[in-house]
Amino acid sequence: MHRIKVTINGKEYEQEVEPRLLLVHFIREKARLTGTHVGCDTGNCGACTILFNGKLIKSCLTLAVQANHAQITTIEGLAANGLHPVQDAFLEKFGLQCGYCTPGMILNACYLLQSNPQPSEAEIREALEGNLCMCTGYQHIIDAIRYAAERMKQSGTVQL
Amino acid sequence: MMDFDQLFVTRNWVGKPVRRNEDVRFVKGEGRYVDDLAMDCAQVAILRSIFAHARVKRIDVSRAAAMKGVLAVVTGPEVAGQTKPIAPRAITKPATQFVMASEKVRYVGEPIAAVVAEDRYLAEDALDLIDVDYEPLPAVVRIEDALRADAPLLFDEAASNVLLDDTLEHGDIKRAYQEADLVIKEKFHVHRYSSTPLENWAMIARHDKASDSFVVWANDQQPGRSVVNVCNTLQIPTNRFRLIVPDSGGGFGIKLAIWPYMVILCLLAKKVNKPVKWIQTRREHLLGGTHAPDCQVELELPMKKDGTILGLSMKDYENDGSFVHTAGIYGLIKFATLVGCYNIKATRAQMLSIATNKGPTVQNRGVGKPTMIFVLERAMDIAAKQLGLDPAEIRFRNFVQPEQMPYTTPSGEIYESGNYPECLRKALALSHYEELKKQQAEMRKQGRYLGIGISAGIEPGTSNLGYYYTSRGIPEYTGNAEGAIVGIDYDGNANVIVGSVDTGQGHATTIAQVVSDMLGISPERVSVDNQLDSLISPFLGHSGAYSNKFNDVDLGAVIRATEKIRNKMLTIAAHALQSDVADLKLNNGTIYSAKDNSKKVSFREIAALAYKKILYLPEGLEPGLKEIAYYKNPMAKLPNKENFNVQLTHSNSVHVVAVEVDVETGEIAFRKYVIVHDCGNQVNPAIVDGMTIGSTVHGIGGVLLEEFVYDEDGQLLTTTFMDYMKPVAAGLPQFELGHMYSPCPYTLLGTKSAGEGGAIGSLAAVANAVEDALSPFGVKVTSLPLSPEKVVRAIRETKVI
Ligand code: FES
Ligand code: FES
Repeated sequence: MHRIKVTINGKEYEQEVEPRLLLVHFIREKARLTGTHVGCDTGNCGACTILFNGKLIKSCLTLAVQANHAQITTIEGLAANGLHPVQDAFLEKFGLQCGYCTPGMILNACYLLQSNPQPSEAEIREALEGNLCMCTGYQHIIDAIRYAAERMKQSGTVQL
Repeated sequence: MMDFDQLFVTRNWVGKPVRRNEDVRFVKGEGRYVDDLAMDCAQVAILRSIFAHARVKRIDVSRAAAMKGVLAVVTGPEVAGQTKPIAPRAITKPATQFVMASEKVRYVGEPIAAVVAEDRYLAEDALDLIDVDYEPLPAVVRIEDALRADAPLLFDEAASNVLLDDTLEHGDIKRAYQEADLVIKEKFHVHRYSSTPLENWAMIARHDKASDSFVVWANDQQPGRSVVNVCNTLQIPTNRFRLIVPDSGGGFGIKLAIWPYMVILCLLAKKVNKPVKWIQTRREHLLGGTHAPDCQVELELPMKKDGTILGLSMKDYENDGSFVHTAGIYGLIKFATLVGCYNIKATRAQMLSIATNKGPTVQNRGVGKPTMIFVLERAMDIAAKQLGLDPAEIRFRNFVQPEQMPYTTPSGEIYESGNYPECLRKALALSHYEELKKQQAEMRKQGRYLGIGISAGIEPGTSNLGYYYTSRGIPEYTGNAEGAIVGIDYDGNANVIVGSVDTGQGHATTIAQVVSDMLGISPERVSVDNQLDSLISPFLGHSGAYSNKFNDVDLGAVIRATEKIRNKMLTIAAHALQSDVADLKLNNGTIYSAKDNSKKVSFREIAALAYKKILYLPEGLEPGLKEIAYYKNPMAKLPNKENFNVQLTHSNSVHVVAVEVDVETGEIAFRKYVIVHDCGNQVNPAIVDGMTIGSTVHGIGGVLLEEFVYDEDGQLLTTTFMDYMKPVAAGLPQFELGHMYSPCPYTLLGTKSAGEGGAIGSLAAVANAVEDALSPFGVKVTSLPLSPEKVVRAIRETKVI
């Protein structure tokens, strides 16, 4: 067992964990933050996407012990109250159906818009490479991200 | 269809792209999927067969059971001793299979034992400690292997691997052949694929000792049938089993038959004094979480030289793998679309369900309809080429005409409404078809290969559930229906519970739109509980989310219950205002007299009368404001081989696709994708658009990328999303949609099926485009998927894909 200290959405979690525990299971079961989902556990679907020290990662491919002292943002940490413009854009543009891919998609979109605030359609499609959505065929997700980019430009929002 | 002036008191919401209120929790990560429920559970892991076909000689679980952290173990023989075999739906030969393999395993991934432990990691460890002695048997993998006279048998008691073989003839097919100038004949092959919802199967079972009853939470798509099946299999009365379905991360049919695992979980829950949870892994899902069967279809179209089709004859072999519950369905459901959009007067269809050592098959989005439209629309292009006709022209010459609506096909399917020629004309215009052809000629000069594909398809919905029994005799279920409860609470707000479930279709919002316009309130005042609870929800054997029935019977039930509640409120208001019901109107949460609008009473005040001041209610009126209604589709016929309808609404669409094929690499790139779609009236067009596109992408995945590949020993080689490839955003086209609105006369809102459609039309459209692109090389497409390597091989050597 290893003792780890992880900050998730600004809150510190300190726990004994087995070395083999996946980070996604730590987030879901130890921190009880269930917005991070599991769709494959082989790194292919992106349902478990989180921000790890500011970088986009798949938490099913990471061990909890690797997250010792890390700063993590999950979907629950995106907007303290109300909705982040990207979340609102997904609502406005019908960017989801079952919602299972949505937390990963939104975090991916936020990450993209941070480095590229006005992405083209092709750039968005490229950026979504690691996130599968089985419901929407992606088109409304792409519409949502473009809409969010537009809105964030108008309001000057850049940070996550 | 109802008169909307009677039905609605406002027209503010129905027909508008109202934002989905369920989305707020999903974008915040606050969905309530099974694995998110805060319950202290023990965890289940399942031991699965490593052989495709083997006798199980011995299972020794002693080491696993003794492992620290393990709470209980159950094995196939134990389960078989405590349960009834899985009930088949469509096959006619006897075939005995239990929810867990006991004497024999029939596919790689079939459950043979299960472990409950304190956590999933320990449960998985324990699986390694279970010793199984297998005696491997030769595996039967392909259809042709299964049909050989000396083929090993999957089910000895069936004395054959063909579990259903039935031929149905409608109209004068002999004459069609006699009068034909030519017969188009082709043999097609469609592979195995699946819509793979992003959330795998998930369930929790809890056993209550005192009452010896079970509660199961599961992402089940057809709870109505699951309750029946679980209780029958466990041999318990219905009042010992309660099923709750919270949020579900996609379904597409793939979660219609998860109930066998509920049986296993119930047995485990009974052994340990704690709820038990099983979350399927993706590998388990791909191995044994159900596929669409691969199939071989021999199609013949006797026709005239001018392109008129006189008849259709088909022999359909479905490789149904080894799940007796749903085997045979894929063939029979093809009657819903057997003649496509065409005026074909005579049909003969032979349907065979073949058992093999491949994984289970269940209703994947569209069931057999995507294949049916694929083979028919492929054959149309083959015929057009042979006759020197444009693919659009041969379709125009055969379409059912709008004045023939409602149109009855030879077998009895009723196409309610639609204008198929206009749909094609619109799609050609939207895609700039003539322009595309010019572009194609230009590009060919530069050595680039653009292809244009058209597919016109029927997209049926609302299963008439008896259909698969046409070969079996008396059905256990017939017709289709759903239930709804609508209430008005103390504050005068509406609440709705339905018997179906939502797997992402935005039912809550759609229902709220309808109820709002019926009661004259805004959707914020209508709460719809998406969570199904078999104890509370208005429930039928048909309840669930499948066959696009929502727009028909689910909304029908909501409307009927809302009418009842509206009438009751009007009765109370009339009494309170001392007016005639006929003079009353609803507006913004109040009921007022049209004669004197100072006379008014709010919903809240009406609720106070109904719930609290009950002595002021009209004489003889029951207190309370909650109404239940069930609604059934009126067009369902009784099962009868001569004249039956498989599905009860029929949308239609045309897809026009342009692709460019790289003849060196076999890569296929989209240049245009147009869909013109007619699903009658639409309640929320943005939701319909989303489903049309999503469904089309399922088809595209099936045509281009996805395939369950088995080796000759029956080992599945594609067990992750690395090898079972799904479409990603890059590489998909930007879809252009056009709509038509031919109201359905037989549903209350004039709505028809929406959801499966794209998955039906896209296979042929893309395949036709690819064949067209490769016409300079003389390549013919008769099989799927169109993988780069198959494309290159066809160009260079085989000339056929
Ligand atoms: S669950 Fe991590 S990528 Fe699929
Ligand atoms: S919305 Fe269902 S997987 Fe994306």
